[in-house]
Amino acid sequence: MSQQPPENKQSMEQAGASDESIQKVHSILLREKPEPSEGYKPMPLFLLGFISTMIFICSIYLVHYRGGFDPLVYDERFDPAKAAGAGGPVELTPEQIVAMGKKLYNTCATCHQPNGQGLPGVYPPLAGSEWVLENDQRLIRVLLDGLNGPIEVKGNTYNGAMPAFGAAGYKWNDEKIAAVLTYIRQEWGNAAEPITAAHVKEIREVDNRTKPWTAEELAAFE
Amino acid sequence: MANPSSLAASLSPEASPDLVKRAELSEIDASTKAPAIFLLGSSVLWLLLGTVFALIASFKMHSPNFLGDYEWLTFGRIRTAHLNAVVYGWSVNASFAVAIWLMARLARGVLRHTGLLFTATVFWNLGVTIGIAGILLGDSTSIEWLEFPPYATPLLFVAYALIGAWAIITFRFGKSNHIYVSQWYILAALFWFPWLYSVAQIMMIFSPARGTVQSLVNWWFAHNVLGLWFTPIGLAAVYYFLPKVLGKPIHSYYLSVLGFWSLAIFYNWAGVHHLIGGPVPVWVQSAGIAASFMMVVPVVVTAINHHMTMVGSFGALKTSPTLRFIVFGAVSYTLASLQGSSMALRSWNEVTHFTHYTVGHSHLGMYAFFTMVMFGAIYYILPRILLKEWPSAPLISVHFWTTAVGVIFYVVAISVGGLKQGFEMNNADIPFIETVKNTIIYLELRSYAGVLMTVGHIAFAVNFTWMLAKRRKAGATAPTLFRTGPEIELEASAR
Repeated sequence: MSQQPPENKQSMEQAGASDESIQKVHSILLREKPEPSEGYKPMPLFLLGFISTMIFICSIYLVHYRGGFDPLVYDERFDPAKAAGAGGPVELTPEQIVAMGKKLYNTCATCHQPNGQGLPGVYPPLAGSEWVLENDQRLIRVLLDGLNGPIEVKGNTYNGAMPAFGAAGYKWNDEKIAAVLTYIRQEWGNAAEPITAAHVKEIREVDNRTKPWTAEELAAFE
Repeated sequence: MANPSSLAASLSPEASPDLVKRAELSEIDASTKAPAIFLLGSSVLWLLLGTVFALIASFKMHSPNFLGDYEWLTFGRIRTAHLNAVVYGWSVNASFAVAIWLMARLARGVLRHTGLLFTATVFWNLGVTIGIAGILLGDSTSIEWLEFPPYATPLLFVAYALIGAWAIITFRFGKSNHIYVSQWYILAALFWFPWLYSVAQIMMIFSPARGTVQSLVNWWFAHNVLGLWFTPIGLAAVYYFLPKVLGKPIHSYYLSVLGFWSLAIFYNWAGVHHLIGGPVPVWVQSAGIAASFMMVVPVVVTAINHHMTMVGSFGALKTSPTLRFIVFGAVSYTLASLQGSSMALRSWNEVTHFTHYTVGHSHLGMYAFFTMVMFGAIYYILPRILLKEWPSAPLISVHFWTTAVGVIFYVVAISVGGLKQGFEMNNADIPFIETVKNTIIYLELRSYAGVLMTVGHIAFAVNFTWMLAKRRKAGATAPTLFRTGPEIELEASAR
């Protein structure tokens, strides 16, 4: 092929192209329309309204029938407020209370440490602490209103400031305070009685206090 | 040797750019020939076999003694064999062929190493054959849509992986810089299906999840095979063949984008609506229902896009077989999807669930939409890869009218029967056996519709075989149309 003159090659190709076999190969393809392309007409405006309406309806539907996103609710008609035995808050098991307290303790762990040992000379320990284990009246008050000034824990004196978690501080409710106190009373080898939300509520109402306690003031409570 | 593109370019200098494109297409079509013919041939065989299974199952619903003495033909096996033969045999084979052909054409990439691809398609069909045999022998896993026994499925997965990889490689090395909407759907489906199938196989069969998670995985898979495999492939075909046959652009690129992404976002959630009222956390059900209802968005958007493309060209339906099947399928897609969204609503689901209405719905989707679109696509593709015309226009006509009338008749009969059944089952005053007896007449009507569709399938198979067997005519040929319509297809050659 390469040795032939160029014009000769040209004529050979033309002969080949006009040949019947090539025509036949292309006849079906020759008649078809061009490959599809895309138009760029703008979206009709009513679609905007339509899609917004659909999103709105479906969101309302999902929220209405969400069943509290609770994995144990199987019936869309279930309403926790009307469920049998309700009328008050749901009763948690002791394990659930401790689990809730453990989660809440993350806040406390910044000072008192995840292992409840505190930092020597700065933050008092909770593990084995007489303040945690012995008198629950004092303990609840420390958490509700905070504590300022020197305090002796397990033979060492600390002088710092414990923030309030009640009305004057973090505004935790009675359940949260009871849960975290129950947790610290039963973790790290501590084994004291749990603290109930009712007890926290009672003390909160009796005191109605807005400033931190001192160790001497707390000593008055037996 | 000069390749066809350069030959065509030298043929006529002024028409050359268009001619070069067409020569390139002919090269691409030729490269898909072996695997596509094998896939389409086996899909037609599976269609016939699946139809026979369907008829037997349908007759058994109203005449329980029919073929009642054969263990392997009991309803539980034959109905399952029908589903798997038409889904994994007919539909998947056809969708492979259409997806590969569309992908090669739109990416402007020649299919390479077709021998390996051909082997993969043989293995797919081997897997389906083993699976169907296993079901008839009683080895079904009893998990809906995943009934193939575990000894068939790894073969299917490997075969699929090869076929999918081929289409993606063709896309990657194609010459086209533009990704047409059909390619989005095909590419997405090629990634979605192996994800669905492997997760479902592992979580259902090889290392089963426990409790209600199993049923969630089951319906997540079963619904997504429809939504994330068959629907995208079907829509890809509609998006290609509507503008291709009509010779005008698709109405709006923006609508295509919106339709694609809203389908991708919402469909995946919708499967849970099969478990409404079951022991599944209620928020999961509600999320599934909300997503099913949101599916109205892609459906309406796609319907507008297709309709606006068709407007002004409805006359072409009289002549072009491809267009007629495709438009029938596209309209059915809209209807089936809107019906599906309505069936997800709790109050309506209480009536329709566990009745024949659901069966009607699935045939509206898998047959009136998907299968009809595949028929239309095959009528267009086969002449281009065989370079022959369809031998008989009357057979195409028989095929269209029997399947179209048949499936409408089928869906209407079974839906009316199903609704009646649903309302009666919710009425505690009617004994259960009465609700069963009252469906018999509708089940008989369904069988008649099935016979009509079978006639269409036989006409199609005869035409298909005839076309494979007949000799290629020399010189230019005219397309096989319902009636002569110079404005369709012939226009290009008249230029």
